[in-house]
Amino acid sequence: MQAIYTEHYLPNGIRLLFIPTDKFKTISMGFFLHQELRGDLAALNSLLPAVLEQGCRLYPDKLTLQRKLDNLYGADLGSDIIKSGERHVQAFMFESAHDKYLGENGQLLNEGMSVLGSVVGDPLISEDRFREDYVKQEKLQLIKDIKALLNDKATYAYERCISLMCSEERFGTYKLGWMEDYDRIDAEGLYRYYQDVFFNNPLDLYVIGDLEENQVLETAGRAFNFSRNSASKTLSLTEVSRSVEQVRYHEEEMSVNQAKMVLGFRTHTAYQDDQYCPLLVYSGILGAFPHSKLFMKVREEAGLAYYVFSRLEKHKGLMIIAAGIDYADQQKAQEIIGCQMEDMAAGRISDTELDNTRHGLINRIRSQQDSPGQLINSHLDGAISGRTYSAGELIKRIEAVDRKDIQAVAEKIELDTVYLLKPRKGGK
Amino acid sequence: MKENYRLIESKELDETLHQYSFYPGLNLYVLPRQGYQKKYAVYSTRFGSIDNRFRVEPENEITELPDGVAHFLEHKLFEDERGNVFDRFAALGASPNAFTSFTQTSYLFSCTSNFEQSLNHLLDFVQEPYFTEQTVQKEQGIIGQEIQMYQDHPHWRVFFNLLEGLYQQHPVRNDIAGTAESIAQITPDLLYRCYKTFYHPSNMALFVIGDLNPDQVARQVEDNIAGRNYQALGEIVRFFPEEPAEINRKCSEQELVVSEPIMFLGFKDPVVDKLQGRDLMRREILMELILDIIFGSSEQFYNDLYRDNLIDENFGAEYTAEINYGYTMIGGETRDPEKLCERIMNEISEIRNTGIRAEQYERHRRKILGGYIRRFNSLEFIANNFLAYHFRGTELFELPSILHEIKLEDAVNLLEENLNPALHTVSLIKPPEEEV
Repeated sequence: MQAIYTEHYLPNGIRLLFIPTDKFKTISMGFFLHQELRGDLAALNSLLPAVLEQGCRLYPDKLTLQRKLDNLYGADLGSDIIKSGERHVQAFMFESAHDKYLGENGQLLNEGMSVLGSVVGDPLISEDRFREDYVKQEKLQLIKDIKALLNDKATYAYERCISLMCSEERFGTYKLGWMEDYDRIDAEGLYRYYQDVFFNNPLDLYVIGDLEENQVLETAGRAFNFSRNSASKTLSLTEVSRSVEQVRYHEEEMSVNQAKMVLGFRTHTAYQDDQYCPLLVYSGILGAFPHSKLFMKVREEAGLAYYVFSRLEKHKGLMIIAAGIDYADQQKAQEIIGCQMEDMAAGRISDTELDNTRHGLINRIRSQQDSPGQLINSHLDGAISGRTYSAGELIKRIEAVDRKDIQAVAEKIELDTVYLLKPRKGGK
Repeated sequence: MKENYRLIESKELDETLHQYSFYPGLNLYVLPRQGYQKKYAVYSTRFGSIDNRFRVEPENEITELPDGVAHFLEHKLFEDERGNVFDRFAALGASPNAFTSFTQTSYLFSCTSNFEQSLNHLLDFVQEPYFTEQTVQKEQGIIGQEIQMYQDHPHWRVFFNLLEGLYQQHPVRNDIAGTAESIAQITPDLLYRCYKTFYHPSNMALFVIGDLNPDQVARQVEDNIAGRNYQALGEIVRFFPEEPAEINRKCSEQELVVSEPIMFLGFKDPVVDKLQGRDLMRREILMELILDIIFGSSEQFYNDLYRDNLIDENFGAEYTAEINYGYTMIGGETRDPEKLCERIMNEISEIRNTGIRAEQYERHRRKILGGYIRRFNSLEFIANNFLAYHFRGTELFELPSILHEIKLEDAVNLLEENLNPALHTVSLIKPPEEEV
């Protein structure tokens, strides 16, 4: 019952991945431009999709473009920037209802692809530059977005921990880059950057839906026919093996009610490693589920937190533990977390914990098959890491993980950074 | 069993839904979805945070609840004499969860194997309450942290401050989780009393979706319920305070650590409590249309605001219609709340003068239809929304036919009624002056 991909290359080197399936009500497409995550490129890389999305030659402003999409039965076209390990991916996603529920006879694939192809491949250019006003406007919006990280305290704390922990690595770059970098970008430089990356960097196009392969290939060939270097450049992989010299502690005060504690660990194990599945099971037993040790001990037994979890940054080989707690309980919570990790390392894991976690992980992998977005994401993981697992292979590997494998993973895990966002003294 | 059975077809979506009802009044819906790996079930009771005064026929005694009981009960059902419910689902590889809204509490799981056992677990744990002094006390700590978390959440605060601004009496103005003080009053006795009333099968409904055989699911549910000796329950009478037509206050302001102010305008719907069922859904669809026509990203107004750097992509407008309250909220993060507020108010009076063009109406109607179809990719969306409409007395599948029968004039009339400047409030979150 696994999704079947067919892989093709368009004449200009764009890789096309097609998943024919009639189980969704939609036509879904994703267009991805791969780039290295780098401090000096992050702002450019974030700004580019935002500016492209403002309008293209055929639909020169947002209003015209949105009206076109409304008339395609409220099709959705959006851009995003994804930080995945030390890879920085520009994403353009299109989704519309499938024609067969609308009596529209095949037009939505054509029209949708042509809009997507125009936005990424046929931008609005005059005098070798993007529109100055669009660039200025999107710079303002992105700087606002960077500042707005502060509004969700849990996410803010999570990102702060990562940027402090990886301050000397590419991964320490926030996905939207640094505010001051935006000052240095102008409409001409951004267009030069566009020409460079669209010409040279790897581009992936995903198409999912109840469609004919020939028609998809033909339509894509027409819609994405811009000229480019058909041999895409090779991007460097994520650095995983950095060791910890000394645990670092950071505290920040803010006018908040609840303290947020974030612990950053290095696992020295990434997605492409054989030990990835044991690590997945390790983090699962520790804190990825409501049956996990952290949830049971910190929340259900001690009643200290509403949320507490562990999560992997799978391409970078980091594990992050986060909890929202009373500041007064910080020591206690950290002790309980420490005890759970000692138990893991000593192999004090019950059969139930091991089985439940395997089942839970397998359930998540199977469930991904039911969402076009998740199908794309899991395939992208392969493109980013250089190692592709089928769902079936991941499941087999997870089933095979035993206590010894988990202990072997545990031995390598090192605490690197403790970050605490704490309430300012003297009340709110 | 077959006499309490009905097929509901949606030609537009190519879906066939099976409905069953069982003594003592439980409704079950099963929607087969071929090719999906996941199976999803949600079991809901019509008991939410607003249901805080009630009695059961033929008794006379009225029970009054402190704020936050429905949500507290939701947390506590996950623990019983056999221990923690999460573990039992985990053993099957199923993923359980629950949520409480203003009007209902829902328990759910999704799985890709062991469906039958998982469904039994769901039915069992929801039907087997276990509350003790000690477990209630521990939960007060956990929910206390949940409340604190939301107090730091600017979008949550701006929302509840807005409802407080609109409503003088109606309990929708109170936080779903209650307050530290209100949940301190909760006792096992009180939880049992609510449980016996609202968790009676006649006040509940179950929706199951996935690659399944409907009759087989129905037999399983019927067997589970039949063994529990339910007696018929009298009608639940819910009491709501008399809510004046006027809003509570014009403006609410709160300081929180935010990057820039967050501002929402709220409009109280003065008519909604006379409607239910299909009429209520019709009103909701019309309002969605109107709001998208005025504030949507394919209209001039949105694009002007965006260009003037007054809004970001998250700016939006939405309308909520429940059986006895309804409101519209419009806004988002903005550098200049005063100016944004003024522009929105002007636009509303402008559209009253200029009216809605037929082209606009048709374009947004198409958009709503396409959006509806797209959402049917998600099993969770279908099941959760179906039950929400079920409790309001209608069916999710009605949307395309309502969308087909409504007219431009209906939209124009509603505009007069439902975005009345006299019934608006402003909710504002702003950064403290001394901080960034």
